[in-house]
Amino acid sequence: MEKALYFRDIQGIEAQASTQGQKSTLKHSRSNLFGIVGRVWQPLLASLALATPMNAAALGTPAGTVVDNAATVDFTMSGTARQMTTNTVTFSVDERIDVVTALVSPQILVVANDVDRAILFTITNTGNGTESFALAIDNALAGDDFDPVAAVPEIRFDTDGSGDLSPPDQAYVPGVNDPTLPADASVDVFVINDIPGTVVDGETGRSQLTATSLTGTGPPGTEFNGQGDAGVDAITGLTGGESSAIGEYLVADTQLSVIKAFNVTDPSGGSTPVPGATITYTITVEVINSGTAVASVLRDPIPTYSTFVPGSILLNGIAITDAIDADAGEYDTSGVPSVVVRLGDLVLADGIQTVVFQVTIDN
Amino acid sequence: MSVFTKGKDMKRQIVAACIAVLLSGFAIAQEAGQLEVQTIVQKEVVTTNDAGESETKLVEANTVIPGERVVYTTTIRNVGSEPAENVVITNPIASELTYESGSAFGAGMVIEFSVDGGNTWASPAELTVVDEDGNARVATEEDYTHVRWVMQNDLAAGAQMMARFSAVLD
Repeated sequence: MEKALYFRDIQGIEAQASTQGQKSTLKHSRSNLFGIVGRVWQPLLASLALATPMNAAALGTPAGTVVDNAATVDFTMSGTARQMTTNTVTFSVDERIDVVTALVSPQILVVANDVDRAILFTITNTGNGTESFALAIDNALAGDDFDPVAAVPEIRFDTDGSGDLSPPDQAYVPGVNDPTLPADASVDVFVINDIPGTVVDGETGRSQLTATSLTGTGPPGTEFNGQGDAGVDAITGLTGGESSAIGEYLVADTQLSVIKAFNVTDPSGGSTPVPGATITYTITVEVINSGTAVASVLRDPIPTYSTFVPGSILLNGIAITDAIDADAGEYDTSGVPSVVVRLGDLVLADGIQTVVFQVTIDN
Repeated sequence: MSVFTKGKDMKRQIVAACIAVLLSGFAIAQEAGQLEVQTIVQKEVVTTNDAGESETKLVEANTVIPGERVVYTTTIRNVGSEPAENVVITNPIASELTYESGSAFGAGMVIEFSVDGGNTWASPAELTVVDEDGNARVATEEDYTHVRWVMQNDLAAGAQMMARFSAVLD
């Protein structure tokens, strides 16, 4: 009797499982931020400024604000107390143009010929005025193995706020719906690419998103006279009015073949699975394509109504002790009693890995 | 007399009244004005000179962007014939500004801060504020609403003094 199991993207399943939790946390905090900053911007700005100067500092004094100051001087002269006030000095707050593009997605695991694989970014207006931004992607980057192919459309907004590419997500059209963000507001954007058919396992491909202020860009301090909010001057801040972030695809095209077989020896020398009979399990594991199964671990629970035979674990014919120690496996009774064997990084060239262990059927 | 002329006359009267108020105000200032007081606001500008060295200059601050530092300087000159005693200069720190730690100076002055709009004063280490949970904590620069300079000696006739502090635009 044989049971064959095929796992695709072994590495991918693990990676995705661990990143999904992260993603949802991020999404949660992002939506909070948007709720506060984006939707009730004006009233909140006012109340924050009143409540805690710290928060006001984080937001940045709005462009166009006028700041006055006059000193008072108290003194006594000829026995008479007097008070004088100086002239009032005034400055107005110019618009500082700043933007930050940040990668939200973890490394995206892909296979050859995948289509519409999205990478999530967040663009935040870190200046102190309302700004519009042009968005552009660049796939011809150094430091990777292949160039992802921009899909059509290549950029979409996360319109429904789901964090995943979905039908309501609006396409970005340059010059038509460039995002306009109030100070400290942000927008989530997907960069969408197809994966070429020529890629092989383990290769990486990078994709960059750049947000550029439509007022203008330049080294910090570059001035745009009269082009800020309400006609004040706009000046580039430390980001120069432009910001990029890079996401990465990893080709993880790993297929593992796992085959489990068993053989029964009963007390009377036959092969009937009766109480007292011994079952020898033989599990073979093999990579069947070009991929790498990273840190592969075989974990096989002992069936109910049976008992593990101590000292019966073999890996490729070599005995592995039952104890949890430095060797490649153990009989682990910390949870459901299981045989655990660590196979390490497996590739096609490693061939078939054979794990054998025995149980007896309980009386 | 037309309604129009009437209005014009009224305007004239108002203007005249205003001038009278201004004159009397000026007269009061003159009477009390044994001191000349002035405030300026500046910011630092870094330029490169002919020798290729960078120089930092203070220039008048007409416009400022968040994160930039502004410097307020108040000067007092005693233009009277009597010494001025108990001289105290008080400067508000606008809510959009955060006082820059250690920046206030003035020769022969004790410098104090207020976190309550100028009602009470103390040195930075002694200033406390009460947080949302009702716990007192040492005040930080963000909490300061005013700074003042208390002159320890009299300002003699003809003498001049200066008080300065800097702050960063939030």
